[in-house]
Amino acid sequence: MRKEQYTKDGGIQMVLIVNTTSDRTITEEVKKYAGERGIDTDIVEAGALSISHCIGCNYCWLKTPGVCAVKDDYEIILKKVIHADQMWVISDTALGFIDHKGKNIFDRILPIATMYLRFRGDQMRHVPRYDKRTDVGLIITGEADREYLERWNERAALNFESKSLGVFGTDEVKEAVSCMC
Amino acid sequence: MHVLVINGSPRVKEYSNTDKIIAKFTEGMTENGTTFEQYEISDKKQWDDIRAAFDRNTNILIALPLYVECIPGLLMEFLETLTPKTDGSRMAFILQSGFAEGIQLRCGEAYLEQLAVRLGCDYAGTLVKGDNFSIRFLEKDKREKITAPYTEMGRVFARDGAFTSDECKKFTGPEVFPAPVRVLLGLMFNTVARMGFKKIAEGWGCTTPIDYRPYQ
Repeated sequence: MRKEQYTKDGGIQMVLIVNTTSDRTITEEVKKYAGERGIDTDIVEAGALSISHCIGCNYCWLKTPGVCAVKDDYEIILKKVIHADQMWVISDTALGFIDHKGKNIFDRILPIATMYLRFRGDQMRHVPRYDKRTDVGLIITGEADREYLERWNERAALNFESKSLGVFGTDEVKEAVSCMC
Repeated sequence: MHVLVINGSPRVKEYSNTDKIIAKFTEGMTENGTTFEQYEISDKKQWDDIRAAFDRNTNILIALPLYVECIPGLLMEFLETLTPKTDGSRMAFILQSGFAEGIQLRCGEAYLEQLAVRLGCDYAGTLVKGDNFSIRFLEKDKREKITAPYTEMGRVFARDGAFTSDECKKFTGPEVFPAPVRVLLGLMFNTVARMGFKKIAEGWGCTTPIDYRPYQ
């Protein structure tokens, strides 16, 4: 029987998986292992969606707070991430880093932060718009500077005021799923 | 020296803080005969020309805003289309951000070092500085106050062809603010800064609170 995982406040854990590659065998594998562990995953096949880059307009902070001015399929992710305990981005790599499709998922996340600032530890951060804190993990295909990506993902998580779940290759999907809620 | 300057910001040139920084920087860089050509990543119509300029030039300078701890997705999309060089070109960067402390840009800077090498270039350093968020919102004289220090860095770049001198390292300012400064800034964030942001938002026709939750 499937056992559900619960959050501290009694809600059901939600793990958002955003696959920016066209390879659905990765998400199939995630689904299989997550199912075995009774994890509730919400999979977005972003490779088949229209998701553009952040244009840095600042509208989501100062003109239409919380709403992105770029009208495309990214809103699907935005509406889900604010309820997710974890977000895993599956991304191809380029030039030692995640490729532009993977990076766009992170760049477009700005509406979940507000324009307001505060210090967290010794560094400035934007005040989050919502209560949920979403930990972030990466599953990557191809060659990349793994050590750098680990460092980068740690930093990226600071923007969610959350923590990094680590960086995994497509040959380590089982290990990645073992870090899911 | 002739320099290819690429504005790596996805924001249109008119409102690009990076563009205002480049303008001041190149003022200093060209004082003693150094020339440059400039392109904008935000304008996809220029991409073929930028690729040709990348192949043709040996002194390459990419100026960019920090986007989520690294380079903007749109700049990445462009760079993915380049063929790495084999002609001993040098690549330097101007990395700027909204957050003010140097530490905020170090992760991005670390990537730029390996990016230059992956594009077949010798890494000629990164000029790192934050606290540039307000440039687009300011009147010309106040804006110049923020961007003017880049002119001296342009002179240094014309002299060295790189950002490796102590002057460039000092340009970053503090890595983190001392605790008493953080307390003061924290107070400002909750008062003056909030009022300032609200004023800008009203000026842009914003009708909801800045911390509005549209999806909940």
